[in-house]
Amino acid sequence: MLLSLANILFNGVAYGMLLFLIAVGLSVTMGLMGFANLAHGAFAMLGGYVTATLMAKAGWPFFATLPAAFVLVALASLVLERALYRRLYRAGELDQVLLTIGVVFMAVAGATFVWGPSQAPIRVPAYLTGTVAIGPFDWGVYRLFLIAMGALVTLALIVGLERTRFGAMIRAAVDNPRMATGLGINVDRVFSITFMLGSGLAGLGGALGVNLIGLDPSFPIKYLVYFLIVVAVGGLGSIKGSLIAAIVLGVCDVAGKYYLPDTGAFIIYVIMVSLLLWRPLGLFGRR
Amino acid sequence: MADALLDVSGLNAGYGEALVLEDVAFSMAEGEALALLGRNGVGKSTLIATLMGQTQRRSGTIRLRGRGIEALPAHRRPGAGLGWVPQERDIFPSLTVEENLTVAARPGPWDLARVWALFPRLQERRANLGNQLSGGEQQMLSIARALMLNPVLMLLDEPLEGLAPVIVEELAAAIRRMVEAEGLALILVEQHAHVALELTSRALVLERGRVVHRAASAELIADHAALDRYIGMRQGRQAA
Repeated sequence: MLLSLANILFNGVAYGMLLFLIAVGLSVTMGLMGFANLAHGAFAMLGGYVTATLMAKAGWPFFATLPAAFVLVALASLVLERALYRRLYRAGELDQVLLTIGVVFMAVAGATFVWGPSQAPIRVPAYLTGTVAIGPFDWGVYRLFLIAMGALVTLALIVGLERTRFGAMIRAAVDNPRMATGLGINVDRVFSITFMLGSGLAGLGGALGVNLIGLDPSFPIKYLVYFLIVVAVGGLGSIKGSLIAAIVLGVCDVAGKYYLPDTGAFIIYVIMVSLLLWRPLGLFGRR
Repeated sequence: MADALLDVSGLNAGYGEALVLEDVAFSMAEGEALALLGRNGVGKSTLIATLMGQTQRRSGTIRLRGRGIEALPAHRRPGAGLGWVPQERDIFPSLTVEENLTVAARPGPWDLARVWALFPRLQERRANLGNQLSGGEQQMLSIARALMLNPVLMLLDEPLEGLAPVIVEELAAAIRRMVEAEGLALILVEQHAHVALELTSRALVLERGRVVHRAASAELIADHAALDRYIGMRQGRQAA
């Protein structure tokens, strides 16, 4: 009993960290820039395919593909942002949702065409597989690695946003774009870079996720609801909120599926509705 | 006028369809302090916002040290030399006092040490967030933030509005120091005409979006008929 509880907590936290890595960029673009980008999961999927392809076709080592997934997805998102998204920054949410859902369908179709409809296999290095015994429990090495990556990214995000001049520019541009412009801050460019960084993180998360949750062309639709729950429960634009929401979601999802296999898939919705009834703006939502 | 600091001519501008400023023209010399006066809603703030590129300009030119800046996008005007202290102060609430000052700072004679010296209270509150300041402190921060851009021309939009008399005195002293000791050129929009005229050397009066009166500040301050006519009631209260 204790064993399985510890196991569920551990697996849930690792899964939550992965959801956090992918969803935090969405929280930033929706919360800070007010853009509802439902195609965020497509960026994560692209990151997964970058890693899978570079390993299978080019023989790259797993770790070398991670920065590539980040950079390539960030660049792809910049193209999309310049070509399509920026036209709808001032449009209504319905327009944004319609556009980005269209991007999701295109991404699903495109991925099926290029990579085929089946699961993309990847083989992570041997030292990231198996378990390691610490105390009375066996810990999955890859999950430990995911938790460490999540902690690292959280730290980098908090330091970047709270302690750097660029972070201050983002906060200024969000607080009051007119005044930020009046001080010489190029608000458009700040938002573009922020969007790129958030998408790049999704790409990194997608690359890290292949080994845990798999990868096929339906990924952006299958996990969309998870990303949206993280953002809604965490509170728009809150890094801390996204982290806590993602971990709660990960643990509840794993526990629900373990203890109540029949109805487990519904548990997360019960949790989400209860949390949002308690705090409609999310755990750390402002406004 | 080849050596003008600012030269505005034939300026028509407004918001959307509405034209607020009509055929506004004036110029300023280096180091000059200009009072921009007029009743509520005559276009004073619109003129400042137009200089900052925040309105729709229909026609006209704005030359700063001989360089046409009227077509520059708003975010490049501070780089051209304009420092803006908007009417609403517009402090960033989620930045600390120090971050408000450094987030857009540009190199030049004004740095943190010098604005701390000008407003010691800001230094005491350097780690506070922007939304934890009193109105007077916010105004000091707004002025200090514009100084950190090291502008050649400061645009101050009603910096003394709604503040306690003792704070007004402190800010007026700081503005006087900027003009007299530092030789910084500025445009001062103010409802309290007497305060503005004492701090400046020349004055411009707007009415319904047009320049209707130009005078030396010292002359206008004694010209009760003109003050009454262009600025009206408020002035009577101020004098009483």
